[in-house]
Amino acid sequence: MMRFWLKAADAWRAVRAYRLRAVFCSLSVALGVGAITIIVAATEGAYKQAYDMVDRFGPDALLIFGESEEARATGRREKNITVEDVEALRQAFPTAYLVVPMSNRGDMIVAYRNRKHSTRLTGTTADYSRSWSWPVTEGRDLTEQDVKGLRNVALVGRTIVQELFPDEDPIGKSIFVRNLAVQVVGVLEERGSTGPGHNLDDRIVMPITTAMKKILNEKDRVQAVRMRFVDAKRMEHFEAEVRSFLRKRHGLQEGQPDDFRIVSPREIVKFLVALTGSLVVFIGVTGLLSLVVAGFVLANLFLLSVNERIPEIGVRRSVGARRGDILLQFLTEAVTLTAVGGVLGFGIGVLGGPLLKHAAQFPMHFSWKAFAVGMMTATLVGVVFGMQPARKAAAVHPIEAVRKGS
Amino acid sequence: MSLCVLEDVWKTYTLGDVRVDVLRGVSLSIEPGEFTAVMGPSGSGKTTLMNILGCLDVPSDGRYILAGKDVTHMSDDELSRMRSEYIGFIFQSFHLLPYATALENVLLPTLYVERRLDGRRKRAMELLALVGLGDRAGFKPSQLSGGQQQRVAIARALMNAPRIILADEPTGALDSGTAKDIMNLLTELNRQGTTVVVVTHDPEVAGYARRIVKVRDGVVVEDTETASKAGERPVHDALLA
Repeated sequence: MMRFWLKAADAWRAVRAYRLRAVFCSLSVALGVGAITIIVAATEGAYKQAYDMVDRFGPDALLIFGESEEARATGRREKNITVEDVEALRQAFPTAYLVVPMSNRGDMIVAYRNRKHSTRLTGTTADYSRSWSWPVTEGRDLTEQDVKGLRNVALVGRTIVQELFPDEDPIGKSIFVRNLAVQVVGVLEERGSTGPGHNLDDRIVMPITTAMKKILNEKDRVQAVRMRFVDAKRMEHFEAEVRSFLRKRHGLQEGQPDDFRIVSPREIVKFLVALTGSLVVFIGVTGLLSLVVAGFVLANLFLLSVNERIPEIGVRRSVGARRGDILLQFLTEAVTLTAVGGVLGFGIGVLGGPLLKHAAQFPMHFSWKAFAVGMMTATLVGVVFGMQPARKAAAVHPIEAVRKGS
Repeated sequence: MSLCVLEDVWKTYTLGDVRVDVLRGVSLSIEPGEFTAVMGPSGSGKTTLMNILGCLDVPSDGRYILAGKDVTHMSDDELSRMRSEYIGFIFQSFHLLPYATALENVLLPTLYVERRLDGRRKRAMELLALVGLGDRAGFKPSQLSGGQQQRVAIARALMNAPRIILADEPTGALDSGTAKDIMNLLTELNRQGTTVVVVTHDPEVAGYARRIVKVRDGVVVEDTETASKAGERPVHDALLA
């Protein structure tokens, strides 16, 4: 072990002695490793964000929209899920512990005294809070009685509280939702936003019966159904079952597209990862290219260095160094340089990452993983591209030591 | 037992289809404690002879036995081991690592030995003191004179306690005053028991040796014992003669 450190110290002396070589090798590696670091951080960031979203969405949840893929793509409004569908799903899936219909509508004006705010209305059944794992921090959740009795009650998000009740307790206050007077019974916990324009806290939640009948003028069509299942591990299975159940109910023939759309946790992950994917590919190609260039820079500078140091190699051989010792020495020098480059590269990544995050709204997560991958890549470049010069050095014949001159 | 025994050693190089016999049947033995000069004009084969004595190269034909071990057919790694254990080299152009201090240069041979490393620094410092550079341990070669660099090289050659010191034109790059100092140092080391072989074309240098082997055209043409310039022969040697 001690000998290892002595040899490392020996290599380190040589690394420091040939400064220009050191600077060029480590800088060129640093650029490549910087790119790799950013990739790993971006990938990790995307997954982290995806899992955060899944967590909020509910890993055991499905969200079924009453519109086909096609209608969604063309912006056409469809509502193909009826109140009866919801009831049938509830009956058919005892494995679902929650089946909650929803109707949403944006641009809903809410008012309290002289304050007005445009927000999003969600009509739902009881247990909204439970169905989205979204705690009510003040007041109470919606109840079965609220829904059955078409009561004029509402839960409000944090943003509504800020807009309408800057210095009042909202609980028990009466607000107007369009022209309907509604009593605030609870406040939802702060959730933040999932991106620009997606402020989750800017919403008001009411019994779906009240919302449909008194505000949206809907008879029996809901916008979406949210289901939560007891076994999060079998979500793919449940998704397939729900799909075939609804197809049968809607009388769809084989070959006809679904007239509804199921969002599952899996799909959320897929979407976010795909979003990240293109950037990862771009930076990845750049990073790999710069690493290859770095590798060639290293190989060439090391070949020069070997030629310059032939007497040194001869002397080392004459005092007893074996070929393997010389090989290892030059590889150690190469890997030392690339490792320094790796550390610099991680620095570049950490400094450059936030810029990218800022410019492209990109999730980044720097962890030991990004560092480890960067260092491994750097080491690999050192070994792969240092190998040929190191072999050349090892092949120097010991009688070179006694050559006259130099 | 002889320290080095060369038995009818040939060394042939092939350049294209031209064969050059650099050594043509050299037989020679070197006893422990000797101070031998190998002399000859350039191209005589004296450097090749030294390469073989130092296990840097192997004979094309014949045998070479070093310290009782036949090195003729040893592998590259085994030859490295022999050099590390038995031989200390001194070169004309010193060949110190330019980026390492005097002390680090002296320690270089210890990187490649299997032995325990305890006390290596202490020994290196003692050797630097022995060659008169105890106060220069932290100096780089560029901060030392030629004579001082060669002294560092001598300390390096002694580091692994070799059985034999091989010096190839050790004073070739030095002025005559410094050359004298270096030769006196080698003589002193020999007096303390180290076997020394000097390869040179300089009669002045050869004058320090007690045995002169003259090589010409790849064969030994003369092998004589002389009275060393540096003084009397050790008593036990005189008794044996």
